Amino acid sequence: MPKINLKLLKNQIKKAIGSAKDLKELNDIFKRYLGKRGELTQVLRSLEKLPKIRRAKVGKEANELKNFLRIKCDQKAIGIKEKIRKETAKIEWIDITRPGEKPVLGHLHPLSQVKNKAEEIFQLMGFSMVEGPEIETEWYNFDALNIPKDHPARDLWDTLWLKDNYKLKTKNYKLLLRTHTSPVQIRYMEKNNPPLRIIVPGRVFRHEATDASHEINFYQVEGLMVDKKVSVANFKAIIQEFFQKFFKKPIEIRLRPGYFPFTEPSFEVDMTCLTCGGKGCSVCSQTGWLEMMGAGMVHPNVFKAAGLNPKNWQGFAFGMGLDRLAMMKYKINDIRLFYSGDLRFLNQF
Amino acid sequence: MIFSYNWLQSFFKKRLPKPEKLAELLTMKAFEVEEVKKIGKDWVFDIDILPNRAGDCLSHMGIARESSALLDLGFKIPDLRFQETKDLKANDLIKVEVKNKEDCPRYTAKVITGVKVKSSPKWIKARLKVCGLRPINNVVDIANYVMLETGQPLHAFDGQKLEGRKIIVRFAENREKIITLDEEKYNLDEDVLVIADAKKPVAIAGIKGGLSAEIDKKTKIVVLESANFRPGTIRKSSKKLGLKTDASLRFEHGIDPNLTELAINRAASLIQEIAGGTIPQGLIDFYPKKVFSKRIKLDLDYVERLLGVKIPRKEIFDILKRLQFKLTEARPLSKTKGIIMVEVPTLRLDVSIPEDLIEEIGRIYGYQKISSRFPIAALIPPKRNLDIFWENMAKDILKEAGFTEAYNYSFIGEKETKIFDYKVKEITEVENPVSVEQKYLRPSLIPGLLKNVKENFKYLDEIKIFELGKIFINGCRLANNEQSEKRMLAGLIAKKEGREEEFYRLKGVIDSLLNKLGISNIWFVEYQPTPEESQISIWQPQKCAEIKVNHMEIGFLGEISSKILDELKLNLLKIVVFDIDFEKLKTLTSEEHEFKPISPYPAAIRDVAILVPRGILVQDVLNKIEVAGGNLVRDVDLFDIYEGENLPEGKKNLAFHIVYQSETKTLSSEEIDKTHQKIINALEKEPDWQVRK
Repeated sequence: MPKINLKLLKNQIKKAIGSAKDLKELNDIFKRYLGKRGELTQVLRSLEKLPKIRRAKVGKEANELKNFLRIKCDQKAIGIKEKIRKETAKIEWIDITRPGEKPVLGHLHPLSQVKNKAEEIFQLMGFSMVEGPEIETEWYNFDALNIPKDHPARDLWDTLWLKDNYKLKTKNYKLLLRTHTSPVQIRYMEKNNPPLRIIVPGRVFRHEATDASHEINFYQVEGLMVDKKVSVANFKAIIQEFFQKFFKKPIEIRLRPGYFPFTEPSFEVDMTCLTCGGKGCSVCSQTGWLEMMGAGMVHPNVFKAAGLNPKNWQGFAFGMGLDRLAMMKYKINDIRLFYSGDLRFLNQF
Repeated sequence: MIFSYNWLQSFFKKRLPKPEKLAELLTMKAFEVEEVKKIGKDWVFDIDILPNRAGDCLSHMGIARESSALLDLGFKIPDLRFQETKDLKANDLIKVEVKNKEDCPRYTAKVITGVKVKSSPKWIKARLKVCGLRPINNVVDIANYVMLETGQPLHAFDGQKLEGRKIIVRFAENREKIITLDEEKYNLDEDVLVIADAKKPVAIAGIKGGLSAEIDKKTKIVVLESANFRPGTIRKSSKKLGLKTDASLRFEHGIDPNLTELAINRAASLIQEIAGGTIPQGLIDFYPKKVFSKRIKLDLDYVERLLGVKIPRKEIFDILKRLQFKLTEARPLSKTKGIIMVEVPTLRLDVSIPEDLIEEIGRIYGYQKISSRFPIAALIPPKRNLDIFWENMAKDILKEAGFTEAYNYSFIGEKETKIFDYKVKEITEVENPVSVEQKYLRPSLIPGLLKNVKENFKYLDEIKIFELGKIFINGCRLANNEQSEKRMLAGLIAKKEGREEEFYRLKGVIDSLLNKLGISNIWFVEYQPTPEESQISIWQPQKCAEIKVNHMEIGFLGEISSKILDELKLNLLKIVVFDIDFEKLKTLTSEEHEFKPISPYPAAIRDVAILVPRGILVQDVLNKIEVAGGNLVRDVDLFDIYEGENLPEGKKNLAFHIVYQSETKTLSSEEIDKTHQKIINALEKEPDWQVRK
């Protein structure tokens, strides 16, 4: 039985832990004393061989030393880890100015985005969205809208006609590409009784040479509200609300006399110029106003064509160009970009 | 139309507002003044007269009348004084016969003898020039001047050149010809109304005069025509001959027949004053059915209801009176006190129903004075449009998958029909195309998308785009109530030096797209075109799949054939395309979705690698694994395909992760091994399959 000098052991332990440089060294020290064959472990094991009186005293001291070793090791470990952290923090760094790695995102077409926005605003005001065919009959596109055959008013719409005709029973309707979304007014009112509130987004067509502001196909949103007392004053409120929500700016509107065979009275609708706020600039040709849409109160003949009694109903209708809205919103100067499929353009949205 | 400010001023004793002020007023309450320009001492207005007001406002008198109503200024009509001689009767000098009174409801004529044709005085020339007309001689200039003044087109014939001293209004005979004043020759037919003398047409009615009865320096007898023609007749002639004139423009829109007299008297008085001569007594006037003013019953409550503003009665009356409308209280009963009867001057062809009167009241009162007010309506919630909902959903999913949305033209040209081999019978043709590139309606979105690829490859190495839009199938089918247009969803991945992997990338996108739209049960079936189809197919053979959902074919996925890529000069690219019938797709979508409980028991993964002949479909292997594994196999994931070096000729190696998991307990490794062995045994039953250990 070797003489157990716990005091000496404690000093050795203190010294060893004190000089440990890293976690591995520290771990080795711990093992040397408290591992399976560690010096302190052996002391603890040999306790049972000691006489009872000594056993209690030495046992207590040995256990205290064991705890001392544990605590010192833990403390030292924290110190070492802290030191390592500090050192690595000094070495490792991120160049935060290096460009990020972008995930490949797709893009919705600007006209889709503008259409979604318009739909959202009108839906909040209780308008339902309705669609109609792009190939129309002469009846829906013109006659039913109070635009008779051989009337010069037809010249307001340069029409693309199709070679095929639509034969229904004995009647033969000429087919065309709709020149506006207005035929859907008739189609909808044929099947739905007022009160009604709808908007009709969709592609329309014109026989037109293309340039920066004209396209052979483009998009419109038609609006129609019919009830017992829907008035010009109501139209002004709804449309002003739309423009303010859409452009997120306070916007004034003004109505000027216009002419559309399917509305009476008819108006041209202007809104405050977005660029100058109404002071007058080059965008609005110094007028302070931008021409935005055509509108009016539904003509009695339109109600009749749709099978409704004009004595019972009144309402407003309007049609505006989505392309124009998008061009203003994003300051796009050429309508043809929308249909170019140019990703340098589309990927900006 | 171009207007002279000074000319407008000549109708008033009081001063008109300054040009800019007048322009602003007209723009807000009548017609848009597009431009105001100073020319010399005059100001020129370019006014966009609305088509329904052409009848009364394509004239200085019209705009003066309108300004008078807006400003409440006294307006006076021009001087109509002239002297007739009792020794001669107009009737004896010329006979007028109208054969088609529907097409010519009124024909007035006047004769002036002994005129001196020379150039016009300065003031007439100046006004004509300001308005964009070229002065010719005094008689012709006066006819034009009066048209610009009153809106009534006039024509002057040389009376001595009219054979048989006759004017006959009739339709031309086939093969009749006329040489017009500008020396153009026109072939006439039965659709064209003409003014003829005893032998031949001397003018195209309402459009242009003929050379044969032209006023020249030697002209002594002038026959003035001031007539009214049916708008449709003139429009038809004008379209047929491809000839539009200031006169035809006015007649096409319709003119008040009562205007002819005022205009002809004005012209006669000016000719007498300027070119001298004597005027035989009497107005030759064919006017079988005189037009009287209309009367419209107007409910003042309705005025308020439609405009949404209460305008005082007195103001309404005042507005209507300023517009020269006459009012009478319809019935003096207190019950119907709000109803008035309005007599509309015959000039106002555009006013025939109460709404027309309300427009007049509204615009003159001022639309800007109507304050905005939100409607009071029943709280009917808007209907959800599922077509649009699913459309937006599909677009969003593709966007999130990295695809950019394109919008292409609805048209294709002759060239595309050849490249893609579309049969003219199957596509819809535009009758009056703008150009040959837009001669047909697109029967597919693919040509447009490939065009986008071609354009964008100048700048990019990889393109991922899609379009959701309508295509058109031969319109004749409409007769059978079939849809002639339908929505398609098409997209593509195009890559320089792309490999077969692009197909699987796009296939994965389709899977995700359909899953997110609530569609499971998706099958890709090898597309085997009939021999007839294979001739024209846009798809590369053996590289195209039909996309099926519950056995319904909804579209295709595949590589574009090398033949088409060659023709489009896109052969350096690998292009994989999907083309889905959105009308079908939208019937399959679902928002229903049920949560599947997460198993609390651990999953274990075992791999299996198998060597199979190249032609074996992955689907066949997967089926075998799933059948043999039963419900303990939760997922099978193909993680590697290899063929080539170190493998026997004609073989490929497939490697799968098989995920084992139970919903009711933790699987022991014995259970897993047992099932895994079962799968291996099943796979090895196939003669040429070899599980690699």
